[in-house]
Amino acid sequence: MVDRSEIINIAKLSKLFIDESEIDEVTKQMDSIIKFANEVQNVSAKGSSFDNVGGLVNVLRSDDVKDSFDRELILKNAGDTKDGYFCVKKSK
Amino acid sequence: MKYELVCGLETHVELSTKTKIFCGCRSHFGSDPNTNCCPICIGLPGTLPKLNKEVVRYAIMAGLATHCEINLVSKMDRKNYVYPDLSKAYQISQYDLPLCKNGYVELESGKKIRIDRIHIEEDAGKLVHKGKDVLIDYNRGGVPLIEIVTCPDISSSDEAKEYIEKLQSIMRYIDVSDCKMQEGSMRCDVNISVRPEGESEFGVRTEIKNMNSITFITKAIDYEYERQVDVIKNGGKIFQETLRYLEESNSTESMRNKENANDYRYFREPDLVTIKTSKEDLEKYKSQLPEFADARFNRYIDEYGISQSDAKLLVKYKKVSDFFEKSIKGISKPKIICNLILGVIFRYIENESDKQEFNIKVSPESLNELVMLLQENKININLAKKYLGQMMETGKKVLEIIPKDSLQGISEEEVKEICKKIIDSNENAVKDYLSGKDKALKFLLGQVMKETKGKANAKFIEEHLMGLIKKA
Repeated sequence: MVDRSEIINIAKLSKLFIDESEIDEVTKQMDSIIKFANEVQNVSAKGSSFDNVGGLVNVLRSDDVKDSFDRELILKNAGDTKDGYFCVKKSK
Repeated sequence: MKYELVCGLETHVELSTKTKIFCGCRSHFGSDPNTNCCPICIGLPGTLPKLNKEVVRYAIMAGLATHCEINLVSKMDRKNYVYPDLSKAYQISQYDLPLCKNGYVELESGKKIRIDRIHIEEDAGKLVHKGKDVLIDYNRGGVPLIEIVTCPDISSSDEAKEYIEKLQSIMRYIDVSDCKMQEGSMRCDVNISVRPEGESEFGVRTEIKNMNSITFITKAIDYEYERQVDVIKNGGKIFQETLRYLEESNSTESMRNKENANDYRYFREPDLVTIKTSKEDLEKYKSQLPEFADARFNRYIDEYGISQSDAKLLVKYKKVSDFFEKSIKGISKPKIICNLILGVIFRYIENESDKQEFNIKVSPESLNELVMLLQENKININLAKKYLGQMMETGKKVLEIIPKDSLQGISEEEVKEICKKIIDSNENAVKDYLSGKDKALKFLLGQVMKETKGKANAKFIEEHLMGLIKKA
């Protein structure tokens, strides 16, 4: 069972605001999500691994420089920019 | 009751690869903000990171150099936290299968500071706080780091200092990082707790984040030790928290309560596959390890008769030590080269970081050439010093500086003749010497040196002069 305090902690870690009045509802929803996802645990996975699917190893690149993007493009999706920097407001 | 300090260090070392850990952007320090960025290192959705081969090699080299076991099978994990220095809201790091584990760094006392683990991860971006704004530069985001975590084996600020200096030296010798603390390519988090002497249980620890000066690290450790002992003696409790060190007031302030490891909700990074290291590669890396500072230090003392303090200075800077090694080929007394480097060349290099770089106008071959002339008695030590000074200033080779005729050398017979001439023409000085004034001999020696244009060996002249005077 997921309880209220876990929801409050997770919200805090994820910097999400949940109104006091919503906590019980979100707790219930999260509990059902976890239960649903937990069904995976019933599958017998002997001999196969969900870790590193496909069994690939060492997909590596050599240390060669590639051109970076123009700064204009890099900053294009930013909510706010200043002097070539991404700009966010200081949190309280 | 006496309290003992229990301290462990987490050291972040920026690797000096050309590119970032998961993309081909340059990992250069000091570029204009956000100019070394691409969709991968600013974490845009839909991008796929690809691990830099060199990062793995560098980390394994670091592990081997600190006596670690290498995990032949390793992987990357996601460490989740929300802060603007990470655009993805997670950092790709390593959790339960770091590349290296269980090593140590040995201090001069013989005490081993155990290394719990070394893992690879990406650096975060740099935040600039300006009024109400936080400006973000992601150039540093994705720069490869190794994090070297010690066991809580450090029991004084002096040991912490020595450990960091040793680590710096080792990393520089294997050439995986320049470890410039002032530029942030080496940074330490310091974990500190105290306990009554003799107690085996650990006290509650605090962590001072992001220290980038050895001086301040030692100050911070001393301060935090005193603070914790004070709190406990006054009946208070230490809380597990993250602290910031304030340089101006030499004190610490709380940043936040320490998040527990599972608050980071680590899980395997699904975008990156398993890292496997073959035994062959491991052997190859082992064979690439250089002779380290400690070994060179002992060799310089034992084989070359160099003093401890001079040997320490030579090996302190890898490039200086390499230069020394190259320039002593065929030289019967390497100590002379050591003296010329420390006594003449170092006079032209002002600061520590320039000594570290050791970008000088004289090549080891060229210094070798100069000392060869000295060895063959074609010039004396004073001339050698003078010429070396000129070589440092002009970048010319010794043969381009020395007047051609003076290279002929001078025969013993000629020197003897000149000695006789000087004695004959300086009767007063001879009398002075005979009446016990040792200085008079130095005067005569100076006259002979002048006449021979410094080409003759001072010791030979001195002995010959004394011989002549006694006979007279």
